[in-house]
Formats: sequence, C-alpha cells, structure tokens
Amino acid sequence: MTIALEDLEACFEGVVPSIISTADSDGAPNIAYLSVVVMLDAQHVAISNQFFAKTAMNIRLNPQVTLLLVDGRTGAQFRLSCVFSSVMESGELFDRVARQIEAENAQIGMAGVMRLRNLDVFRVVAIEAVPSAVVLSEVPRPTREGLAAVAALTETIGAATDAGGIVDALMDGIVRTFGFEQALLLQLYEDRGHLVTIGSVGYEPSGIGSDVLVGEGLIGGAASSRLTMKVSDLSRVRRFGNAIRQSALDENRTRAITLPSAPEAMSQIAVPLITRQTVRGVLFIESRERLAFTMQHETALLVVARHAALALALSETLSLEAETSRHEDGSTLTSDAAINVIHHAFDDSVFINDDYVIKGVAGRLLILMLTQFQESGKLDFTNREIRLDASLKLPDIKDNLETRLLLLRRRLDEKQLPIRLAHIGRGRICLKINGRLKLHGWRISNAPGR
Amino acid sequence: MDRNLADFIESPVMQIVGTSGPSRQPEVARAAGAWSENSNSLHLVVSAWQWPQTITNLRDNGRIAVTFARPSDYVSYQIKGVATLRAASGAERERSSRYVAAMISVLMKLGVMPEMASPWFTNKDPVLVAVEVASVFVQTPGARAGTRL
Repeated sequence: MTIALEDLEACFEGVVPSIISTADSDGAPNIAYLSVVVMLDAQHVAISNQFFAKTAMNIRLNPQVTLLLVDGRTGAQFRLSCVFSSVMESGELFDRVARQIEAENAQIGMAGVMRLRNLDVFRVVAIEAVPSAVVLSEVPRPTREGLAAVAALTETIGAATDAGGIVDALMDGIVRTFGFEQALLLQLYEDRGHLVTIGSVGYEPSGIGSDVLVGEGLIGGAASSRLTMKVSDLSRVRRFGNAIRQSALDENRTRAITLPSAPEAMSQIAVPLITRQTVRGVLFIESRERLAFTMQHETALLVVARHAALALALSETLSLEAETSRHEDGSTLTSDAAINVIHHAFDDSVFINDDYVIKGVAGRLLILMLTQFQESGKLDFTNREIRLDASLKLPDIKDNLETRLLLLRRRLDEKQLPIRLAHIGRGRICLKINGRLKLHGWRISNAPGR
Repeated sequence: MDRNLADFIESPVMQIVGTSGPSRQPEVARAAGAWSENSNSLHLVVSAWQWPQTITNLRDNGRIAVTFARPSDYVSYQIKGVATLRAASGAERERSSRYVAAMISVLMKLGVMPEMASPWFTNKDPVLVAVEVASVFVQTPGARAGTRL
C-alpha cells in the first residue's frame, strides 16, 4: 500500500521526536533528533534545525536526507527519503510554526530561548513503513465531525438572539457536537490588551471573568498571531502547578480571577475568533486525550469560531435597537439584609458583601446602574442609554458593551450575590436587588477616565 | 571515550544510527543495546530484520554515526567511527534484551505506553556492530551542541 504524507498526520504533532540522517559530500553520516517537523503540502515537509550546524551544512553539500517519523498514537515508524529544496525565513507558515514554538516554550518557562530562525524545506521522494516486530496498537479513529453537524451547530448559534445565547450555544456545541468536555470562550478587550473569559463549560469554578494577556501562552498566542495553536502532548511539557488554587479566597485579595485549567489535560487548542480581519476573542478547548485535536477538528472549530464571532458582532449592533421589555419586577425584595457595595476607583473593582465581583469597565457599568437606582429607583436599562451615558466617558466600550454586560451578569450569578442582572429582551437588562443597598467609597465622577 | 561517557552509553538511553549508501543516500536506524569494549571501541546490537539497509551500508563502507540521547533531559552525544559486523552471540543478544526492557521501563516512567514504544526496539536477527571510535561530539540541545569532546 502506498503511504501518502497526509496519512502521517499523527507524526507531525511533536509527541515523539523525529530523527534526521544526513551525509556530507564524502558520504560521512550524521544523525540527530529534530525538535519540529511540519507538513507543508502533499509533497513537502519542513524542519526547524535549531542547534545542529553539521546537519545544516550536510544538506547543503548533499541534499539527500532520510527522516524517521513516529506516529504519536501507535508508535509506528515511517522512513521518508527526501531532497532538500529551499529555506523558509518568513511568510504565513513560517509565522505559524514560530508562534507554535514560542507558545510551547512559554508554557515550560523558556519563552524567547529557542527562537525560530528558519525552516529547511524538503521534497518527499518516498515513504516506507518500518517493519515492527510487535503488532501495532489499533489507531483510535477520531470522530469525524461531518459538515452536517457543523452546519447544525452554526444554525443554533445563529438562532440565538443575544450574546448570552450565542455563548451558551457555542459552549454546548463543543460538548455535544465535538464531544469535548472542557472549553472557554474569551473576548478580546483591546483597551487593556487582554482576553476575558465570558463563556465556560466543564470547569469548577467556571473562571468567568478571568483574563489572559494578549501574546501570553497558547490563548494569548492565538490572539496575537491570529492563528490556531495547539499542544498535542502536555506530558512532554513541564506544567506549572497553578491550576488548583483557592480562587475564591485568592480573588478577594488579588482582585484577579484564576483562569481554569484541567490538571489532567493532555491536549489543548486555541482558535481565534476573527471578523473583518480583526481578532475578537479566542475559543480554548482542553482534552484528556493525547492528540485529541485532528486537522478535521481544527477546520471545523475554525468555521464554528468564525460564525460565533460574526453572531456576537451582530448581536452587539442589534442590541442598540431595544425591544419592548417584558414585565420584570426588578427589586423583588424578599430580604431586608444590607447589601454593602464597595467600589475602588483606582481599578474600578467592585466588592459585594466583601466578595470580589469584577473590575475595570464591567465594574464601572455595575456602579453606574446602582448609582442610578440609588438616585431614582431606576431598574431597567437599555444598551443604548448605557452607551450614551456621559458619566461613563468611555468611548472604548462601544464595541463590546453586550459581552461586558454578559460577563457582569454571569459573575453575579456564579457568586450567587443579592444583586443580579436579568436579560429582559434584546438590548435591555434589569437590576434585581434583594436587600437594602448601601454604596461605599464610590463616586462615578472620580472614576479614572482610562 | 572516558568512563563517564561509557557509563552514559550503557545506561538506558535512546540509540540512533546514521549510515550512508553508495550514492551518499543517508540511512537511519535504531540500535537495541550498546556497551564500550575499551576507550576506543564500542559495540552495538542492530536488528538486520528491521534495518536491512543500514546493515548493507555498514557491510559496504563501515562508516557510522551513533547518537545516544537520554529521554528525560535530552543529554546527547554523537560518536562517529568505522564499524565491522558479525552475528551477535547468545550473550550479546541477552544483553540487548536487558537494554530493551530497561528502556521500556524508563519510557513508561515518562508516560509512554509500552505498546507504543515496543515497535522501536527489536533484536530480531541481531547483528553485532563493532565501532572503532574516531570522534565524539556533544549533541545536547544548547550552546555546546556540535562541539567535539
């Protein structure tokens, strides 16, 4: 049976190191391990030769090389006869490999140590399977998400009428359509150059409100490079034990919500959400399986992520045309207990009854609504009037108001606080305050105009 | 080769073999056990069943490069020299089998399942490759990679 390069997908995931054998102009052999081998197309592969000058010199004196690649699922070995054809120093694929290497290095605390200088490109002449003296284990065939399943999921996302519904449909689809158990959706807020978690499935606590700097790790790398990034075997990567923290206690002290992480995860993928050539966020998924994310997964997730990004952008626009509100009784007072709200103007962090809620723009939004309630008893708000509110002085929120309100609503729900936000129709929200509100240390006019 | 290098070679480290054919076509193989005979000589066991072209190349020209790499920290050395071949004895095959067992154990501790690693190590149809060592190079990734010992 003829073996095609496309059949060797599981060899290019960096699970088992590849080997390169070269010979100089006199035929003197040299043999070395390779850090990265990538498939460029049906006939070409590229290698990153980070350290070995001898290999680099040999292929220029004698362009014939032999590679040994190993299937990361079964251990099957393949011998590739290749001919050196060119050097790649820039371009989309070069950037993609460079970012992948950077992200993987950042995860093991070696950011910037092994910067990719160039990729050597080879034409593959022949591929042979190396005989195995033992029966190879069965390849667990990945679930091939059909176009129909992806279409059904985009239909569900498209049918949602607000940001919350879109995020829920996407997270639900990651579980039901793709069979993955843990995922996050992060929205990019350019004002502070960070990504904030607005959707979460499979994590406890959810991590809603946690943030990642653009350019940091796999998630931040996907945002800065605008490329899908993945790690297929985290056991090769030294992991820092920051996954399980006492986030509830910590966040009251640090005013930072911990990004959730599955300690037993073996594979991770981060897919950027892009509309009109602008990164809007990142979809992040983890799996306990090695090599969980195939090329088919990458393609399907890209389609779904782009669709969700468009739906979120559209919901932002439509939210300015507020529907007539359903009847909601906001201040359903069943409690007489005091609700102490503290606002720290320097970072707009908000605490309710000593529990940290949120900071930044979302914190300012909450304080704005509570101020108006305090002054006039107002409970219903439209996105339009919030955007136009002069006291906020925040032109930077105009593109992301809907998701910021969603973030705030989800945080209040998750913390089970006596102040909640209800979505009462397109572009409309309603405060629900169960107790006697007491605002401290706040003055919206003193808020720093960042 | 000093005693430290000999100890390293005889410990459970991965062993990969480079040779080349008459048209300078490079070839790749894995060895299944190695030990030093003296400071200038090294013995390897290579399966002729799994790596026939490597054995052919070594019979034709004897030129060999062997890299030894410790999977836990990537400490690596490459040895170059000239090899002569003969069939492995029963004792040598036994020594090769002990290496394979030790290597599978080491990889298991690093999270590699035995069924995955087993295809990499066989001493079926074993050939004893005796290498006269000409040079030794550091091949651990980093600033010293490629320097001669």
